[in-house]
Amino acid sequence: MVNEKKLKFILPESISHENVSFLLREIQNHMQKDSNIIDFAQVTRIDTFGVSLLNHIKKSFKSVSFINIRPEVSELLNTFYSPAQRSDSDKQDDSTGNILEYIIEKFSGLKKSTLEYLSLLADEIYYTVQYIFKKRGIPPGEISNQLFLMAYDSFPIVCLVSFLIGVTISITSLDQLKQLGADIYLADLVGFAMIRELVPLMAGIILAGKIGASITAEISSMKVMEEIDALKTMGLVPEKFLMVPRLIAITVAIPLLVGMADLVGIVGGLLVAKIFSDIPGSVFLEQIFKAVHFSDFLIGLIKTMVFGWVVVISAGYKGFSVGRGAAGVGIATTQSVVMSISLIIVLDCIFAIILY
Amino acid sequence: MSEIIRVQNLEVGYGDEIVLEQLNFSVEKSEIFVILGPSGCGKTTVLKTILGLIPPISGDIYFFQKPMEFLSEKSMNRIYDDIGVLYQTGALLNSINLFDNIALPVHMHYPGIPEQIKKEMVLSRLSQVGLETSWKKYPSELSEGMKKRAALARALILSPKVICCDEPSAGLDPITASRLDDLLLDLNTLLGITFVVITHELRSIEKIADKVLVLHNRGLYFYGTLEQLLETDDEFINDFLLKEKKDA
Ligand SMILES: Nc1ncnc2c1ncn2[C@@H]1O[C@H](COP(=O)(O)OP(=O)(O)OP(=O)(O)O)[C@@H](O)[C@H]1O
Ligand SMILES: [Mg+2]
Repeated sequence: MVNEKKLKFILPESISHENVSFLLREIQNHMQKDSNIIDFAQVTRIDTFGVSLLNHIKKSFKSVSFINIRPEVSELLNTFYSPAQRSDSDKQDDSTGNILEYIIEKFSGLKKSTLEYLSLLADEIYYTVQYIFKKRGIPPGEISNQLFLMAYDSFPIVCLVSFLIGVTISITSLDQLKQLGADIYLADLVGFAMIRELVPLMAGIILAGKIGASITAEISSMKVMEEIDALKTMGLVPEKFLMVPRLIAITVAIPLLVGMADLVGIVGGLLVAKIFSDIPGSVFLEQIFKAVHFSDFLIGLIKTMVFGWVVVISAGYKGFSVGRGAAGVGIATTQSVVMSISLIIVLDCIFAIILY
Repeated sequence: MSEIIRVQNLEVGYGDEIVLEQLNFSVEKSEIFVILGPSGCGKTTVLKTILGLIPPISGDIYFFQKPMEFLSEKSMNRIYDDIGVLYQTGALLNSINLFDNIALPVHMHYPGIPEQIKKEMVLSRLSQVGLETSWKKYPSELSEGMKKRAALARALILSPKVICCDEPSAGLDPITASRLDDLLLDLNTLLGITFVVITHELRSIEKIADKVLVLHNRGLYFYGTLEQLLETDDEFINDFLLKEKKDA
């Protein structure tokens, strides 16, 4: 039924980047179920695109034979022949097969990483306490070094943001309060909102972006460069050597940071009250001291402390579990920031519910 | 002679992916044990598994005649006291300068040592590897070869019983490489330090090796003395060594 001539596909004189897409379409259209013949009689020139085309044809159609190949062309074909790959169509079937399995896998992964996170947290608490009593296992001068870096990195920006937020919430709420004739309560509002809520949240988020990201980048690149391995075989514990100085530094830095930020935020509110509503500073401060108690400051401080630890632990967690190569460092850093910020917001919500 | 390291039916890899299987060999005291094999065959992986940095998939490792799996972190650290490691990338800490890098093991394990003695120790090791003038520099300011040499100085500082080197002379010029070999030999003969060395350089193998392990095709391909290696008529090994010879 099928005429032999029809089955034979005759290639042109030259096969190059200019005609490969045309040839690919043509050959695919002419291919039969069984035995196909491709005739090379005319082919004298073939470039790397042409070779790849023919190798592709050979691999995708089992029953194809090449005839009349000149030796120089044949040599080229053999040189660039890539061995057949394991077809990944089977693999795809597996992965799209069962959504339920996929979800279960995701959840067991989440459970595993939660356990790993908590065990890192427990280890770090243990190492920190151990350091406080034994004073060994971390490089000398490293704590003050880290403290300086953290302060230098985040104090200016935390203060600036805190001031601007103080100003912004004052301006926004002043209008409403004026209508009620309750301008003076601006002090309560600013004091409460800043000290209990906004300063911890903003500080947490800024720490995640500045300190968390830099810790993850540093630790993950140390891991990729075998520095972590080197620490281990020098008999040091990387989770202690690298993390304890940072945890202690952040524990010392946060009270200073919170104190500064609270102060600056209140000054922002005070300026707005003075300028827009003519409330004298002394009255404003007096009102704040009446409304806000030391316990509020303490709650804000504890919250920020928790957020700070979350940032450093998440940064370490992502840093130590980095994948391979320089690409891994970038991915880990992004993930660390996202993880810290998400955890901070979840914890903030939990705090709000508990302390309500 | 006593055994420093023994490996039995070891299977190494990452997660489920097996890189090498059926490994059996032992390293004796005061010998220079060379690991050979094409790039990507798993030399670094074996070394790190032996050092306890990558968990083995199956099999046993004995260090100083004690099984490794029974060792806690504490006793693992006791083993590390006796081992110096030179990593393939050098693995100096980038945040501190060369002097502090070399001094770090002393700092951490012997915090009471006076500064002058520490300085003497560091500078003598640095001059052994020809870097005494660069002690102020940071790792990022050193060439690859200098990093390698500095890493060797760090591995030497506490005079360990065993030193593991992952391609110590890769990236070094022939003269520096040969000087490095002399240094290894000196340390081996004078101090009786045992060496496990990964290398590709035939010249260096001929000069220093006592025993050789060739890894290929997911397993142990050859295991024997240097003489046996040089006499073998195995095609792969001869190709491999000949190629190295041409390159050198
Ligand atoms: N962290 C890792 N995760 C997964 N696979 C890895 C990892 N590191 C290496 N491999 C794989 O293990 C195999 C052996 O790698 P290894 O680094 O041990 O080779 P090598 O013999 O040291 O090579 P070279 O001479 O180039 O240093 C390679 O196929 C590599 O792809
Ligand atoms: Mg290697």
